[in-house]
Amino acid sequence: MRLVRSSTHLFAIALAVTLAPVSSSCSIFAQQPNSDAELIARGQMIYTKMCVECHGAGGEGVSGAYERPLVGDLSIGQLAGEIDRTMPEGDPSACVGEDAHAVAAYLHQAIYSEAAQLRQRPAKQMLSRLTAEQLRQSISDLYAHWDWIPKPENKRGLSAQYYKSTKQRKEDLAVERIDPVINFDFGKDSPGAEIPAKEFLINWNGGLKVDQSGQFEIVVRSTCSFTLHLGRHDRKLIDNHVQSGDKTEFREQIRLTAGRIYPFHLKFIQRERKTELPPASISVFWVTPGGVEQLIPSENWVPDWMPAQFATQAAIPPDDRSYGFERGIKVDRDWDAAVTSAAVEFAQVAANELWPNYQKKNKDAPNDNRQVLKAFLRETLNVAFRYSMTDEMAAKFVDSQVAKEDDDKLAIKRVLLVGLKSPRFLYPQADLDRSPSARAGTRLALTLLDSLPVDQHLRKTIESGELESEEQLRGMAWHLINDQRVRAKTKAMLYEWLGLSAPRDRKKQPEQFAGFDDALVQDLQRSLDAFLDDIVWSESSDYRQLIVSDWSYTTARVQKYYGDSWNPTEPFSVAALASATAVKTADHVELKRTSSRQFHAGVLTHPYLMSGLAYHNSTSPIHRGVFLLRNVLGRSIQPPQDAAFSPLSPDLHPDLTTRERVILQTSPENCAGCHDRINSLGFALENWDASGRFIETERNKPIDPSGYYINRLGKDVKFAECRQLAQYIIASDDAHQAFVRRAFQHFAKQPPAAYGPDVLDRLTKKFVDSQFNIRSLLVEIAVVVSTPSANSEIAAK
Amino acid sequence: MVHRNETRSIPSRRDFLKQAGISAAAAGFVMGLPSLSRARWTASRKQRLVFIFSPNGVIPDHFWPKATGSEFGFERILAPLSDLKHQVITLKGLCNRIKGDGDGHMRGIGCLLTGIELFPGDVQGGSDTPAGWSMGISVDQFLKNKLQSVAETQTRFGSIEMGVMVPDRADTWTRMCYAGANQPVAPIDNPYQMFDKLYGQSKNRQLLASVMDDLLDDFRKVESLISVEDRHLLQEHVAMVRDIEKELELELSHGQLADVGHAVPGLPPNIKEENDNMPQLTRMQMDMLVSSFMADFTRIASFQITNSVGEPKMRWLGIDEGHHHLSHEPDTNEAAYEKLIKINTWYCEQVAYLAKRLAETPEPDGNGSLLDNTTIVWTNELGKGNSHTRDDIPFVLVGGGLGLKTGVAHAFEKTPHNRLLMTICEAMGHPVSSFGNPDFCNDGVLTGLV
Repeated sequence: MRLVRSSTHLFAIALAVTLAPVSSSCSIFAQQPNSDAELIARGQMIYTKMCVECHGAGGEGVSGAYERPLVGDLSIGQLAGEIDRTMPEGDPSACVGEDAHAVAAYLHQAIYSEAAQLRQRPAKQMLSRLTAEQLRQSISDLYAHWDWIPKPENKRGLSAQYYKSTKQRKEDLAVERIDPVINFDFGKDSPGAEIPAKEFLINWNGGLKVDQSGQFEIVVRSTCSFTLHLGRHDRKLIDNHVQSGDKTEFREQIRLTAGRIYPFHLKFIQRERKTELPPASISVFWVTPGGVEQLIPSENWVPDWMPAQFATQAAIPPDDRSYGFERGIKVDRDWDAAVTSAAVEFAQVAANELWPNYQKKNKDAPNDNRQVLKAFLRETLNVAFRYSMTDEMAAKFVDSQVAKEDDDKLAIKRVLLVGLKSPRFLYPQADLDRSPSARAGTRLALTLLDSLPVDQHLRKTIESGELESEEQLRGMAWHLINDQRVRAKTKAMLYEWLGLSAPRDRKKQPEQFAGFDDALVQDLQRSLDAFLDDIVWSESSDYRQLIVSDWSYTTARVQKYYGDSWNPTEPFSVAALASATAVKTADHVELKRTSSRQFHAGVLTHPYLMSGLAYHNSTSPIHRGVFLLRNVLGRSIQPPQDAAFSPLSPDLHPDLTTRERVILQTSPENCAGCHDRINSLGFALENWDASGRFIETERNKPIDPSGYYINRLGKDVKFAECRQLAQYIIASDDAHQAFVRRAFQHFAKQPPAAYGPDVLDRLTKKFVDSQFNIRSLLVEIAVVVSTPSANSEIAAK
Repeated sequence: MVHRNETRSIPSRRDFLKQAGISAAAAGFVMGLPSLSRARWTASRKQRLVFIFSPNGVIPDHFWPKATGSEFGFERILAPLSDLKHQVITLKGLCNRIKGDGDGHMRGIGCLLTGIELFPGDVQGGSDTPAGWSMGISVDQFLKNKLQSVAETQTRFGSIEMGVMVPDRADTWTRMCYAGANQPVAPIDNPYQMFDKLYGQSKNRQLLASVMDDLLDDFRKVESLISVEDRHLLQEHVAMVRDIEKELELELSHGQLADVGHAVPGLPPNIKEENDNMPQLTRMQMDMLVSSFMADFTRIASFQITNSVGEPKMRWLGIDEGHHHLSHEPDTNEAAYEKLIKINTWYCEQVAYLAKRLAETPEPDGNGSLLDNTTIVWTNELGKGNSHTRDDIPFVLVGGGLGLKTGVAHAFEKTPHNRLLMTICEAMGHPVSSFGNPDFCNDGVLTGLV
């Protein structure tokens, strides 16, 4: 039984790790423990000798003998039992015991099991339903379709109007400015020139930029009356219109969807009263998904007026990630229930917000037989279905449903329930009845935005049928790419690439790493985020800069902990800001660039990564090595045989450096095979301690950051330290291909080979030719995915 | 048909057996068992409580009965309750004595069911000091918590807070109920939103059941739009939809979906929340309240018509001015005086409508009518509008929920209304030694009501 379990487990892992090319799956099995490999080899020998005659060399069956293919779901043990008892036909005693077991092991690995089947079948595009994120994004855009979608821009902060009274009259407007954050303590003083301390009103308006989907908590601390609207100018999230007693903290949870800018409006009022005036203060914090509470930073505020947004509050279960990227390949009750509640919720918001607006706009339109309502619903479903319904379909999806409900809101609910639970919405690839342009447009929007084609230009081009040639597709992809949603999706892809999608424990031993706390970790994440954004969305969008940049972003807290090596290139301006306004500086985190060739090698040495790839008291060259080997260089490695492995304690080996300790632990023969590959890379990062501080000695010995790497072609490369490794990586085919594959999987949610055996190589070459332009890579991926030939191929099957 | 004192009446043996579903043959055995004796039967009586709020004080001379005791007659404003006189208790002389921050209207509504001061705050009324929210829980929410803590009295919602034309503004004038200090509870004044809260889930299931055919049909058509090889995911999906359809059918046929059964009220479509729709909105809300009681969704409810300082313009009565505005007119303004009588009579008609609907609706377990087990407490933030007095707060009780002696007009001497709040708690089976500010509770529950 043990053998059975462990080997199926291995198959599953092998599958998850490699994602396909046959060559690499072979290499995995070549590395399996000798006993397994021997068993399988022996099984293959016996199979060839005794079984091929009736079952065929590949188990496909032989006409006139055993005609059915040898596939099934018995375990190795069960299969061995069958063989033992029954095979070969007519002479079951010829293959029993160990021999039967060997044949079963071989069959299972090469022919019989589902995993074997998957390995043998060439990668193909798989029909998928919308993933959780695609569903969230699509519903958001079904709402946003009725307004407009703002383009990304670089303005930060919130626009603020300070009034001399609580009346908001034009003549009372005293100050207008951009505030970087909301974090003020006016005390009993006036908040600004000419404004009386006893009575004033401040409006903060703009948008809240959200980069990841999930549950957020908004936290407001205020000693005065305030109301906070989020998502729409009349959608109240927190109502503290009445300041009462000592209640000063207000919290509200809300699910938000990535890549959106939610309209934000906060009205803060100090009211004149007959009793003593309390001091006035207000600050706005948030807790991001998986994060800790922090002041909402200025990068997440946009000072412009923003159109209404809607984010579903339905809890949609996570998707299958067994291939290393999300795919909508399973349907179950939980998912179905989530779709239903998302549909019902959207129907509600459509009835309460979209429909009244539509009515107002069409108040003079003829309305016999509720045709205004029907037109509203037909357009909504056209967007959801990604093409214009025929009259026959509209009769079924809209007219007949509306006829069943007298109440408009109930009619809206009925139509949207049928529409959003329909496969026409949930399965974007079920589109053989569409024009080539419509199909290409659907795929472009899905690939780049995870969403519906609601972009005006895109919709017009689809209607005119001018989205067929590669050039047309490329042009449209370039048009779509400058978008907040693409930015969020790209950020998520980079997080996958950097192994940051799942939370990592960064707690450090308090004595050794005093000051390394949650707040610092937040700053580090913001530093990394800003770095990634700067590079990807700069003109050159150069992948290589991610690896070799000698600069990073620092904050006052980062500088304090990491010392002079993280000094800003120009001084922080927070102090000046604080003296000019009543902004509290304590929580205000200002990002400034810092630069040094010695201390920075792009993301590789960033403390947010380094502290995650480490233990609480020491670095972990193994984690760092696995990250470099698997994520950056795209090589496959299998997990250790003994899952319950724990590292040697530094305390038990006080004389050894981490490097020496790791070598000691991984030197046994059955470890060294993989660990030589891992450690030799991980050691390059030994100059950065468990918290990401630059160090040159450990236990009074100089750090030895030298190492080597043997590439896919077997070429051996040596490097003396991290920067040399970084330089090697940006020139490495392995690394380029790993990045392209990662991007492809993340954006297409299909393996590249599903679009042709040479797609990965072609895209990688284009990537290199474009000077490693990341945006250009995303465009080319979108072009591949939406090219008609790729679509008709899947259709023809 | 309403029968006096039915509340306390003991059902016949035959009635009981019928309700308990016990055949006559088995009855001989069963009646000997103590657990099914009469004591338990009355103990399990449902007790319900509804607070109805109307704003801006009344015209006392046309509100309060001139006589006390059981031989009293209704003046103009209470006349709509005439048919139900035997179910009515009027309580004159109860005073909202709570002082502290807030103007008369604010303390009028904010301390009405809480019996305790408002926090200092920043809402400045026309006079007095500014105030915030109440410092304590309101009696309806207190009783809700009590009832929800005991299995026999637990209901799906515990309490329902309804409103009619309550302004979309959370301030001290618009909130009567409090879940605790600084925790105002917003009434739901949109009947469709109320409907969703009460029946949304079942309705959604019904709706889902009714669209299943169309959905499955659609799946069949879409199947042709994808390659054969890819169909298995879609087929899995269809199989799941079919399963769900079967389950929904089963639910429907077993009446699980119809847990609220025939009592689900049909709302008239597309009624907007506008001043002139107030009569219709009130009906819709009250009908849903009756249905909620039938379904035993709750035993506690509040029904807030507009708000303290509410300004409905009762154009359907030929009155174009706002109520609060009119209520400030001196008594010498005869036109305004007459309009205020009409306005308050209209409020009373609403109370009477609810009471009659409850009286006409049999208790689902057969124990009399809903009204026999429900007490409506109709109240107001002020005694009189133009003086802003909180003496003689209008308290009119209708129905037998509290088990107090009905058909009586009482007159107390300047008695703190906290004592009524204590009385209500006790009558609901959860006696308290004080409610709200203990300084006003020293004399205990009101006497002479039972």
